[in-house]
Amino acid sequence: MRKILPDLCLLAAMPLLVYSVHRVFLETPIERQMGTAFKIFFFHVPMGWLCMLMAVICGIAAGVELRRRSALASAVALAAAEMGFITGLGVLLTGPIWGSATWGTPWTGDARQVTTALLWLVIVAYLLLRHYGPRSSDRLAAALAIFGAVNVPIIYYAVKLWKTTHPSTGVVASLPPEMWASFWPGLIALALCSLGLFGLRTRQLVLADELDAAWVRVEDNH
Amino acid sequence: MRIVRQAVLLLRSELRQELRDFELLLSAGFFTLVLLAMFYLSFASLPVKHSLPAVPAMLWLTIAFVGVLTLTRAFDREREADTLRALLAAPIERLAIYLAKAALCLMVLMLCCLVLVPGLWLMFPAGSAFADQPGQTALLVLLGCGGYVAIGTLFAAGLATGAGKNTLLFIILYPLTTPILMYALATTRALLDHHPDLPSFLGQMAALDLILVALAALLFETVLVGAGPNLSRKPAREGRPVRR
Amino acid sequence: MEEVTPPPSPPSPAAAAVASTATTPATAQDPAYGPAVGRSLADKEKLRELEGVASAKSARDYQHVILAYGVLWALFAGYGIFLWRRSARLRADMSDLRRRLDQKTP
Repeated sequence: MRKILPDLCLLAAMPLLVYSVHRVFLETPIERQMGTAFKIFFFHVPMGWLCMLMAVICGIAAGVELRRRSALASAVALAAAEMGFITGLGVLLTGPIWGSATWGTPWTGDARQVTTALLWLVIVAYLLLRHYGPRSSDRLAAALAIFGAVNVPIIYYAVKLWKTTHPSTGVVASLPPEMWASFWPGLIALALCSLGLFGLRTRQLVLADELDAAWVRVEDNH
Repeated sequence: MRIVRQAVLLLRSELRQELRDFELLLSAGFFTLVLLAMFYLSFASLPVKHSLPAVPAMLWLTIAFVGVLTLTRAFDREREADTLRALLAAPIERLAIYLAKAALCLMVLMLCCLVLVPGLWLMFPAGSAFADQPGQTALLVLLGCGGYVAIGTLFAAGLATGAGKNTLLFIILYPLTTPILMYALATTRALLDHHPDLPSFLGQMAALDLILVALAALLFETVLVGAGPNLSRKPAREGRPVRR
Repeated sequence: MEEVTPPPSPPSPAAAAVASTATTPATAQDPAYGPAVGRSLADKEKLRELEGVASAKSARDYQHVILAYGVLWALFAGYGIFLWRRSARLRADMSDLRRRLDQKTP
């Protein structure tokens, strides 16, 4: 069951994605102040949440990797970082598109935008270190991932510390019920899609590790 | 107490080494002057109201650049003489090594700020608040540099142990230290504006510094020497490894 | 937006002159016919202009929405292709390993 879980997640995500797009465009009223561009919100916010979730998963897996030198934890951390990169890039691209349509400026420079960009930079730094660092840098990369995960609550706290033009956390809380009903399918669909891809990538990395070990045994026996 | 005693001993050894040729201090100090000159050439013509947000940026950008230079040089010495491995093999608490190195880098940065802050005050009228509130300025600089050095020492040490490339320190350090630098920027702006919430900002910086120091201290030994035996790590194969 | 039923257009001056001279006392006196009431021409033009602004914003918003959704799908599709290629490489490596083992075993 565990082996086919990523495939099941992806299969479940397909119809849910179609349904959520249908709900967002055909059954959700147009938001009074922001107009049609508000439709971007229904996928922009889930991508932001998923980016932070992946950063936390990466940090926790990195902690396990440091503690137990586990290859599975290392694979989970790398897969989570890659998924965090994708979702973070999605947030950083759709956010300015929404901002450009709604407030006339793509980058308002407020705290949440900037700290999300910083979290994404930390994820990119982790990926660069994993791919281009020396052999001994896997522990260093794990420490970097842990620091990156610690940055995630700072993102939320920074919203309270500074005055911001980004919609406050109250935007989601104050949505009317029919918009909430359109928000959740999109969130669940994107979450299933991301977790499915994350699971597939983890499986690939574990398989690559096992293949490496098998080659070493074959060459040793040669 | 044993850790503190060992850290003080190591710090004294580091300082003794530094006092022989002042290499770290002179290079960091000179780099600070160069950056100050470049900022002056770039922004001297700014009107006062525009230089007000520029002064915190200049202060913390300089500290960020000088900090990387200091950390790189501090650990290059260990790498060249292979003394870090000897330190790790010695019966010394690893935390003491971390505290000693971090304290050395912090001292060097603070000495550079003795040049930087008065330089900014002299060159830019918006920096006059530094002279009006010397105590708060000193505390702000100490907290900002402390947080920066807390993270930087961990990663510079990690890169120094293996065949780490120094350029990786830039890739790692700047994204990780930007949150503490953001707090420092906002607090410096509050100081220049004589904001009433300045003590609260300084308190939050102190709390963030404590978190960063605690986390870095916790990870130091594991990053440098690893934790326990290798449970499932497989040796690398020769020949054509599969691309991940 | 609620539908606006266009009011009956007021009669032109010529028609009004003809009507006034025509022997149709029933039109002038008939209570079923009231005076024409509606928006002025200026109001109608302003309304048309505002509707134009709203539809232009709506069209621009749709472009942004399509761009944003396109970016998201492209990212996921790109990562999916990346995973597929990596899988192909792993399968090729596995078949190499199998071939190598088959060569070694008699």
